[in-house]
Amino acid sequence: MSLRTILIIARKELRDALRNRWFLFYTVAFSVLALAMAYLSLAGSGMQGLAGFGRTTAGLVNLVILLVPLMALSIAAPSLAGEQEQGTLAYLLAQPITRFEALIGKYLGLSASLTAALAIGFGICGLGIAANGDSAGVGVYITLVVMTFALGFAMLSVGILISTLTRKAAPAIGMAIVVWLCLTLLSDLGLMGSALAFKLRIQDLFGLALINPLQVFKMSVLYSMNASLDVLGPAGIYATQAYGRWLSALFIGSIIAWIIVPLVLASMTFSRKSIA
Amino acid sequence: MKYRPYIWVWSWLLAAVGVMALCASPVDAGSFNLQAAVDAAESGDTIQVPAGTYPGPLLINQSIELIAEPGTIIQGDGKGDVVQIHAPDVTLRGFTIRGTGKSLDRENAGITVLAPRVTIEDNVLEDVLFGIYLKKSHDSVIRNNKIGGKDIPIARRGDGIRLWYSPNSVIENNTVSNSRDVVIWFSNNTTIRDNTITHGRYGLHFMFCDDTVLIGNHLENNSVGAFLMYSRRLVLKDNRFIRNHGPSGYGVGLKEVDGVEAENNLFAGNRIGLYFDNSPASVDIVQHFTRNVVAYNDIGLAFMPSVERNIFTDNNLIENVEQVAVLGSGQLKNNQFAVDGRGNFWSDYNGFDLDGDGIGDISYKAQSLFENLMDREPKLRLFLFSPVQQAIELAAKAVPTFRPPVKITDEAPLMHPASVALSSGAEPPVWPTTTASLVLLLSASGLLMFGITGTLARPSATTSPIPMTPQPRKDQPEQTGKPILSAGCITKRFGRLTAVKDFDLDLRPGEAVALWGPNGAGKTTAMRCMLGLIRCKGSITINGFDVRKRPKHAKRCVGYVPQELAFYDDWRAKELLGFFAKIKRVDRDRVLAVLAEVGLTEHAAKRVGELSGGMKQRLALAAALLADPPVLMLDELTANLDAAARESFLGLLCKQRDAGKAILFTSHRLREIETLADRVLVMERGDVVTTCKPRKLAEVLGLKLSLRLWIDQDRLDDAVAQLRTDGFEADRNGQTVSVQVRPDEKGKPLAALSAAGIGVRDFEIDSNDNGSPNQRSKQGGTP
Repeated sequence: MSLRTILIIARKELRDALRNRWFLFYTVAFSVLALAMAYLSLAGSGMQGLAGFGRTTAGLVNLVILLVPLMALSIAAPSLAGEQEQGTLAYLLAQPITRFEALIGKYLGLSASLTAALAIGFGICGLGIAANGDSAGVGVYITLVVMTFALGFAMLSVGILISTLTRKAAPAIGMAIVVWLCLTLLSDLGLMGSALAFKLRIQDLFGLALINPLQVFKMSVLYSMNASLDVLGPAGIYATQAYGRWLSALFIGSIIAWIIVPLVLASMTFSRKSIA
Repeated sequence: MKYRPYIWVWSWLLAAVGVMALCASPVDAGSFNLQAAVDAAESGDTIQVPAGTYPGPLLINQSIELIAEPGTIIQGDGKGDVVQIHAPDVTLRGFTIRGTGKSLDRENAGITVLAPRVTIEDNVLEDVLFGIYLKKSHDSVIRNNKIGGKDIPIARRGDGIRLWYSPNSVIENNTVSNSRDVVIWFSNNTTIRDNTITHGRYGLHFMFCDDTVLIGNHLENNSVGAFLMYSRRLVLKDNRFIRNHGPSGYGVGLKEVDGVEAENNLFAGNRIGLYFDNSPASVDIVQHFTRNVVAYNDIGLAFMPSVERNIFTDNNLIENVEQVAVLGSGQLKNNQFAVDGRGNFWSDYNGFDLDGDGIGDISYKAQSLFENLMDREPKLRLFLFSPVQQAIELAAKAVPTFRPPVKITDEAPLMHPASVALSSGAEPPVWPTTTASLVLLLSASGLLMFGITGTLARPSATTSPIPMTPQPRKDQPEQTGKPILSAGCITKRFGRLTAVKDFDLDLRPGEAVALWGPNGAGKTTAMRCMLGLIRCKGSITINGFDVRKRPKHAKRCVGYVPQELAFYDDWRAKELLGFFAKIKRVDRDRVLAVLAEVGLTEHAAKRVGELSGGMKQRLALAAALLADPPVLMLDELTANLDAAARESFLGLLCKQRDAGKAILFTSHRLREIETLADRVLVMERGDVVTTCKPRKLAEVLGLKLSLRLWIDQDRLDDAVAQLRTDGFEADRNGQTVSVQVRPDEKGKPLAALSAAGIGVRDFEIDSNDNGSPNQRSKQGGTP
């Protein structure tokens, strides 16, 4: 494996992403929405000089949960499938490059482009918050940003996995949207229904929530802000008391698993795939 | 001389300190027996205690004033209390008191007071189970003390301060941390002012304390800020209840209290800002909450459903995750959120103020289906801040039957926060957020610049570890050198279809081998297997490298030109070659060299999408030649070219072959094969059915060309008849005659017609039908 080759592919992917109009649209949309949310939510509270987790952060968390997985999945899913459909992938792989290098290079390039888009959005939003004189802790803000990056990387992994499972861009995007819907809405609705219908125990409910990377992201941001998950009711109190300081490690481990496992699966699938 | 004034100052200072020491410490500290001095004193005496460590416990049975010098410590023996005061009107000031026992049953305390009118001030209590314990000690004062509990689990700690049947007392300006509770029970008319209580269980716990006043206290990071129970006429003013976040987590909990007047308090970051349970308890009592800030709590105001008769005006409810909660089933009623046209500020109010009077023109209503679900099933709070929350709220708005009852209504919501003069809190600096944001933006710029210009991974000079320059072609027609590409028994199946079966090939330097066959014969599949693009059975080595085990080394020896030229169309030609040059690790100068070699120098700056098919084909060849590889693989090498371009392209390839490169190509044009190939592998349904020389291909396959002849109009029919007589397949085709001939017998029809006296004005070989393998199949020819 050559790091140099990976970087060449990554740079090419980053460059392609920057020329992609969807990428620009997402960047602008994320920036504008985040800024608007920060401004509107802080308009009435800045004068009090208060700090804490409020609707602004909640709004940002929600925005991230909705938009970032969509951004990541929709740019990663067609990345390999689209190139395979166009025939450029076969040509690329006929060059002195391994499939693993191509996969990791693409992943890193997409990660860099997503990071750039999110950094622009968060940067503008952060300046907006600061200009408003809000006292939102910089630590909290950085945690939110870092965890958002991590969530983005995890969703890119899932997107890359989808891309290795399909041969054309359209089915890949379709599958990505189904996965996005499942992660954002359907799994939570299912879990809510199960919690009520089957009287799930609190620890089971928390354990099942840990499977969803979006829930993990949300809980990790909340935990970093409040040093507890009490705000999430009994399940949150259980998590705080049962895992204590290990809770952060649990969340980070879960997100890292969501980054690595799909990527490993994608690599295995891609290495066996015939590129016609 | 110039130091003399300082010497005088120092002398005076030393003298003053000496005099003060003599006055304040009549007894030498080393020999001073504190208990003996206390026992010997008479009521009304003042004892100045010299600095030093004195053993506890200390019993005070006289109404005396004990004043400690700085550094005076009473050290308990780890059993029982450290100081016990049994006499009224005692003052204990300035001590450091340490080391109580750990018995909760015996309530071991730093200072236990069992008499009235005691003043305890300016003391530091460390490592104590209970701090200051007043039992039936009315009219006492606890002031300016600093109390720190033992470092043990909270359930085993004692109370920092406990008042028990001690009315009319004042507790002010004390700091209590790491204790269990501050308990005020059965103690009416108590004033609790300017205390700081942190990291405990119940910051303040009231029971049966009527007419009590809480002013300016700061309760932070306790499990519950203040839990006020069974008391009447309580005043809460200028207090800060912050980040109290235990399982209950109330900033202030009110349980069956009557007559609370709360003003100018801050309830921030608690699990529940204000909790109401049956308060007020009496039907004739109304409670008032005015100009408080309730902000950033998980729940701002939480009510049990039966709570009535509370009036809220000019409060600011800011950014609470749930502004108002009704815990349990039932409808909240008879609480007022607006009086005389003035309500409260709600940060989530979405109304408007057309008349500009500062009051919203439509009511504020706390109404949320998800909040209702959470209030009834607390475990659903886990899904707070998830998109599912918005989905449920959306459903409730869209479908009226889902809409939950309104929890509270504020008829006159304030458009702007009410002016509240809170006691000061540290204003966090804004600049770190700015800095972090700028760092983010700079990082993004860096990434973008990397994508646009790129400083990493510059191409370097060729670093290939393997010699790739091919040997010059020898003149002999038969290649006898060591194969540079060997394929053994390649087999590929797609389901039931065998695309390639037992394909063998040895390709030597300077040799060009053609794969010939109809569509679907397996030519492209075989080539892609050899490039490692398709997994297959069998062995493939290129320049000694196994394609599957060492794919990079193997592919570094190959230049590939695909059938369908799929490039990144928005890249410029030079840019595209630069990219592949980096991957192949060749110097950037090679880009210009190969562009010149294929005749594309003047098109180097064009975008790939703007190039013609022929130019793209040349560009593909240029990319293939970048690393000067010993093997070229070309799939349908002239598929996109017109006749002139074909000739030119074939010329280029012949040069490469003559320079010693091994070439493997697929084609369905006989002319190309005859021009370029040394050998032809004829494939059919995945099998190599025969191998032959190019000139024998037509013969082997029985291929025929279509020859078009221009003959005088009046002799057309004669010509057709004559040709048929001579055994040719001939037909009249408009004003010409079409005749099928073997590729090596193109002159025979002309000779036959000439012998019959029929003149041929002109002829041509039909370019669209020059002996394709598909035609051969159609004709049913066999090799």
